[in-house]
Amino acid sequence: MFCFMVEVERIVKANDREYNEKFQYADNRIHTSKYNILTFLPINLFEQFQRVANAYFLCLLILQLIPEISSLTWFTTIVPLVLVITMTAVKDATDDYFRHKSDNQVNNRQSEVLINSKLQNEKWMNVKVGDIIKLENNQFVAADLLLLSSSEPHGLCYVETAELDGETNLKVRHALSVTSELGADISRLAGFDGIVVCEVPNNKLDKFMGILSWKDSKHSLNNEKIILRGCILRNTSWCFGMVIFAGPDTKLMQNSGKTKFKRTSIDRLMNTLVLWIFGFLICLGIILAIGNSIWESQTGDQFRTFLFWNEGEKSSVFSGFLTFWSYIIILNTVVPISLYVSVEVIRLGHSYFINWDRKMYYSRKAIPAEARTTTLNEELGQIEYIFSDKTGTLTQNIMTFKRCSINGRIYGEVHDDLDQKTEITQEKEPVDFSVKSQADREFQFFDHNLMESIKMGDPKVHEFLRLLALCHTVMSEENSAGELIYQVQSPDEGALVTAARNFGFIFKSRTPETITIEELGTLATYQLLAFLDFNNTRKRMSVIVRNPEGQIKLYSKGADTILFEKLHPSNEVLLSLTSDHLSEFAGEGLRTLAIAYRDLDDKYFKEWHKMLEDANAATEERDERIAGLYEEIERDLMLLGATAVEDKLQEGVIETVTSLSLANIKIWVLTGDKQETAINIGYACNMLTDDMNDVFVIAGNNAVEVREELRKAKQNLFGQNRNFSNGHVVCEKKQQLELDSIVEETLTGDYALIINGHSLAHALESDVKNDLLELACMCKTVICCRVTPLQKAQVVELVKKYRNAVTLAIGDGANDVSMIKSAHIGIGISGQEGLQAVLASDYSFAQFRYLQRLLLVHGRWSYFRMCKFLCYFFYKNFAFTLVHFWFGFFCGFSAQIALDTSYWTFINHVFIWGSIAIYFSILFTMHSNGIFGIFPNQFPFVGNARHSLTQKCIWLVILLTTVASVMPVVAFRFLKVDLYPTLSDQIRRWQKAQKKARPPSSRRPRTRRSSSRRSGYAFAHQEGYGELITSGKNMRAKNPPPTSGLEKTHYNSTSWIENLCKKTTDTVSSFSQDKTVKL
Amino acid sequence: MEERPQHCLSRLLDNSALKQQELPIHRLYFTARRVLFVFFATGIFCLCMGIILILSARSTQEIEINYTRICANCAKLQENASNFDKECTCSIPFYLSGKMMGNVYMYYKLYGFYQNLYLYIRSRSNRQLVGKDVKAVEDCAPFKMSDNKTPIVPCGAIANSMFNDTIILSHNINSSVQIKVPMLKSRLTWWTDKYVKFQNLSSKNLADEFRGKIHTVAQYTTTKPPNWPKPIYDLDKKDPRNNGFLNDDFIVWMRAAAFPTFKKLYGRLNRTHHFIEGLPAGNYSFNITYNFPVTRFHGEKSVVLSTLTWCGGNSLFLGLAYTVTGAMTWLASFAMMAIHIMLKNKKMSFFHQ
Repeated sequence: MFCFMVEVERIVKANDREYNEKFQYADNRIHTSKYNILTFLPINLFEQFQRVANAYFLCLLILQLIPEISSLTWFTTIVPLVLVITMTAVKDATDDYFRHKSDNQVNNRQSEVLINSKLQNEKWMNVKVGDIIKLENNQFVAADLLLLSSSEPHGLCYVETAELDGETNLKVRHALSVTSELGADISRLAGFDGIVVCEVPNNKLDKFMGILSWKDSKHSLNNEKIILRGCILRNTSWCFGMVIFAGPDTKLMQNSGKTKFKRTSIDRLMNTLVLWIFGFLICLGIILAIGNSIWESQTGDQFRTFLFWNEGEKSSVFSGFLTFWSYIIILNTVVPISLYVSVEVIRLGHSYFINWDRKMYYSRKAIPAEARTTTLNEELGQIEYIFSDKTGTLTQNIMTFKRCSINGRIYGEVHDDLDQKTEITQEKEPVDFSVKSQADREFQFFDHNLMESIKMGDPKVHEFLRLLALCHTVMSEENSAGELIYQVQSPDEGALVTAARNFGFIFKSRTPETITIEELGTLATYQLLAFLDFNNTRKRMSVIVRNPEGQIKLYSKGADTILFEKLHPSNEVLLSLTSDHLSEFAGEGLRTLAIAYRDLDDKYFKEWHKMLEDANAATEERDERIAGLYEEIERDLMLLGATAVEDKLQEGVIETVTSLSLANIKIWVLTGDKQETAINIGYACNMLTDDMNDVFVIAGNNAVEVREELRKAKQNLFGQNRNFSNGHVVCEKKQQLELDSIVEETLTGDYALIINGHSLAHALESDVKNDLLELACMCKTVICCRVTPLQKAQVVELVKKYRNAVTLAIGDGANDVSMIKSAHIGIGISGQEGLQAVLASDYSFAQFRYLQRLLLVHGRWSYFRMCKFLCYFFYKNFAFTLVHFWFGFFCGFSAQIALDTSYWTFINHVFIWGSIAIYFSILFTMHSNGIFGIFPNQFPFVGNARHSLTQKCIWLVILLTTVASVMPVVAFRFLKVDLYPTLSDQIRRWQKAQKKARPPSSRRPRTRRSSSRRSGYAFAHQEGYGELITSGKNMRAKNPPPTSGLEKTHYNSTSWIENLCKKTTDTVSSFSQDKTVKL
Repeated sequence: MEERPQHCLSRLLDNSALKQQELPIHRLYFTARRVLFVFFATGIFCLCMGIILILSARSTQEIEINYTRICANCAKLQENASNFDKECTCSIPFYLSGKMMGNVYMYYKLYGFYQNLYLYIRSRSNRQLVGKDVKAVEDCAPFKMSDNKTPIVPCGAIANSMFNDTIILSHNINSSVQIKVPMLKSRLTWWTDKYVKFQNLSSKNLADEFRGKIHTVAQYTTTKPPNWPKPIYDLDKKDPRNNGFLNDDFIVWMRAAAFPTFKKLYGRLNRTHHFIEGLPAGNYSFNITYNFPVTRFHGEKSVVLSTLTWCGGNSLFLGLAYTVTGAMTWLASFAMMAIHIMLKNKKMSFFHQ
């Protein structure tokens, strides 16, 4: 009964399989395969005969089996049909076999399940809703779990959600305090009988609503308490969870979009054409049938003597009816079955060209490009929109410390012998850090001057590096080999701290009260007096420390624009110098930070600190008061310099983006990253430029706001455009105006749209959708940040549906899978850790830059070739078949064939790629005496060719026909080049003229993009981490206890989680503990 | 820079021009000089070819005499079912104004005879005709077996409807002296037909073979087609080798014509004695034994005498087609030249401004 009911809410009771069974929830087995052994044949055949061509030829085959009608032998149809169907079936079968295999592998993973008060190893597929599972570190989560308890204090546990949303940083989940008390006590866990009432299965990754009823009390559950299938447990030795959703109900599976059968526009065109041709065929058949009836009644009667027909046995109408079907069979070649096969073969060939391409081979990882789908090649030449992931696709997700400006001097530039700035090349010798045992081996710096300055003991340089080593939120750990490992919250900070470490200022460890660093070999412990955390408005962070000498210092780093306002007036000269440097850095697409410090005296600090404590204790306006105090102390700073960190783009991204946009392909970036980071990358890869007329940022919190913002942006855009229209631009665009009446096409100037995930969710609602789409399509660049995997797919769908455009999605992670699947063409970046994107993709290669070659070379050529092929194919079929139509008028419409269709079709079908040699050898064989001797009835062609080809007359006719067919084409092409030259004709003409004029000059080196834009404090930074550090909650027990006597905590230790949650409500509520940087 | 050794790349991805899509191409660039040159040359060629073809076609001579109406009495006689096996001859005198030089060929020509009907064409047995199996008649409906269940040889509608008029050409030197013009009945067929597609049974004596006398078993007995007056082994009384399936007239008939109006080779002039240079001018007559009924399907038949040239018969079509094509090509080339020059001038003036 229950299975017919729509689930409104889910009720799960822990440790009670019988109770849960009556709801018939799905178990944890997953199926992605389509067939099993029994159902394969019927389902596959059914699917195949749904294709128009196959069904058509099945009908034809049936017709041919009727002897009265059949004018061709049946094997001319059945052989190619069977061939096509078996080939497809074999392909489907192998595909499904691999799906079965991967399903089995996943279903048979082991996990520890609490059954009958004992922990037992159980296969994943046997896990049921309501079971309690034990997870261990680095294990995949088997199902969507409610976290009950974990090894960490407060029931915390860390998960990596790379498979779900592509973010590689760790997220924290924490259990309810009531359940975290259960700990690892098996008997108590087995006795746990809480009932969870929650929402029905859905695909929202960041939302969960539910209530746990246990021991007469109710606890509300949210996303923080849930561990989703597909996550990996990290940094947590064990945890227990209760299964809420299993198998197909899990959010992971709900998010995996259905695999859709992708078809190209040529396919659709072909289908329509085939339908039209079929109609045409019917018309021909009717004309000929009528002709036959007339002929039979007028002339055919008299021929009965030769055929011994009895009078009245066949009326002329009936004969006409039979003739109709006969002609349908004879003329069937106008509707081409071999078209589908030939098209597939050609595409297969093109796929091989892609696989073979050395220019798309990534030699560093030995990864060639791969066409995983062979049916979409020509669509590559039709792409209008590209949806790209950022991390791992556009960028390498590696931050490197590139340059710095210390006290008005730039370090990190490489000068050659002539004192010219040069590009850093592999030949240049990097600074040798190997003497330092603690140095990070992957770090490279090419300017030896900095090293020299350090050795010279330049105090500013020392202070600069000391600041980098002190002012951050990095956590350090020593691994088993005794190497320092930094757990970084944002990769930028990691880059800075690592840089400091390589230059001899090594951050060793921290406690809530102290920071220990090694300064050029001597250990120094700084007392951490205050931690002025980062937030989005402050765009800076500071620490106040007491150094071993007892001086109190404030170290601050932050966005240059903000920090420069806080400087002491005496810094003016340095400021302008540093400012120039910053512009230079920003122009190269580097992420910049300004660095400053301030000396504080004890008395002033004590006063300030007391005020801070008061403010913290205050109940009213607490945040405002704290912010005011921060402002108060962060002033009169002394500028030290600036840093420039490179968010390393993949190779050749800028060139690729430029050439793709030259090809009028619009590139949208869909990323899970923060807005600042996304914008920064937009600038770095030339998608956003300073020349842009306007950059719209949409960040509304509800549907109304979002719509308002969108409309305003649109108005703004049209207004600007109107102003433009008065100018000279009109003349340039006039031609385009005449050609294209659509408003958005007439827009001049470049615009960009930046929208965050939260607004996007509202913008994707039905009535705002159109506003969004209209605006987005008018913009040259669109960047969506903080989007979920599903939203990515929704955006793609939106464009696909309403713009009728051909879309391409490119990404590298599991979070891009849905987008890759829903776009017309999905591309996976191979060679990364995860395989999901590649597995879901249609094409895969190792570098974003290969996209250029794939689209502009392979796609274009495929499309051209396919079009040419189609033209020739239809031409050939019509030419061949219409002969029979005309011959019908001479042979009394009796469905006699004028030419031997049998061998023609044979050749058409088997030797499609038909080399002339094979064609003729078959021809000669079939016309040979030998084969006639064996099958006199089946091959009566002997002598035809020999006789006709020896006649001079035939050759004269062939010659004349050739002349008559070729000359008009030559004339047409000649006149077309003269009268309506295409762009390529003009270019060719121009090239020719250039060649005549002078030898080609060598290409000038590309000039650097100059940009006044300075990247802001674009860290993937989140507020609240400072509190976590000062509270000490994330410090492991094995860390040495604080030695300092200052045993004060700034905040109530239990409240930090709530604080955290409160402050991050509008983002995906999790704090990140990003990648682990290895020493 | 590349950590992987180079051989890996070369092993995986062949650096051949084909696989890298770097095969040399030649793109025709349609410069005015080339195109116009080609056009003029083609035009001249086509015109010359056309004139040659027309001249040579006109040099052939052809005489066609439609004898459907002239021999109408015979037709009428035979339409009466009771007289169908009565022999009827008619003589058609005609005057040859100029002599026909060289090889002269005699054809019969039928109008409105649909040898290309689907059912008609299918009704034959190549297995039987190649002399493999006399009983192979399964394709021959409706002429497979005679009433007494013996296979018809040759079976099928095509064979049954064979043209069986006898045409004899005589030269009337004067009113009393008539010379029969010697006609050859050999090499009328395609070589492959005579030596590959049609073979007699291996036996020496054809008549015995077809009558089934060698095999005493009754099933080897065969029957002649219902419309035939004579059995297959008795077609040419003068030349015993020209009998059975290898009879030239039979083979010629069995190669079905593509159109309802067709002519088939009946004989060629034996250039001996009086006729060593061809047919001299003078009075001739056709003596026709009228057997083949055409009035029943409103068809017509005629006899044709013709000479050939290197390019076939006297059809003007090919020559005209070449001439017209040549003329059109010239016209087109002039037009193109005009357009090109016009555009060029325009461009020049544009640049000079």
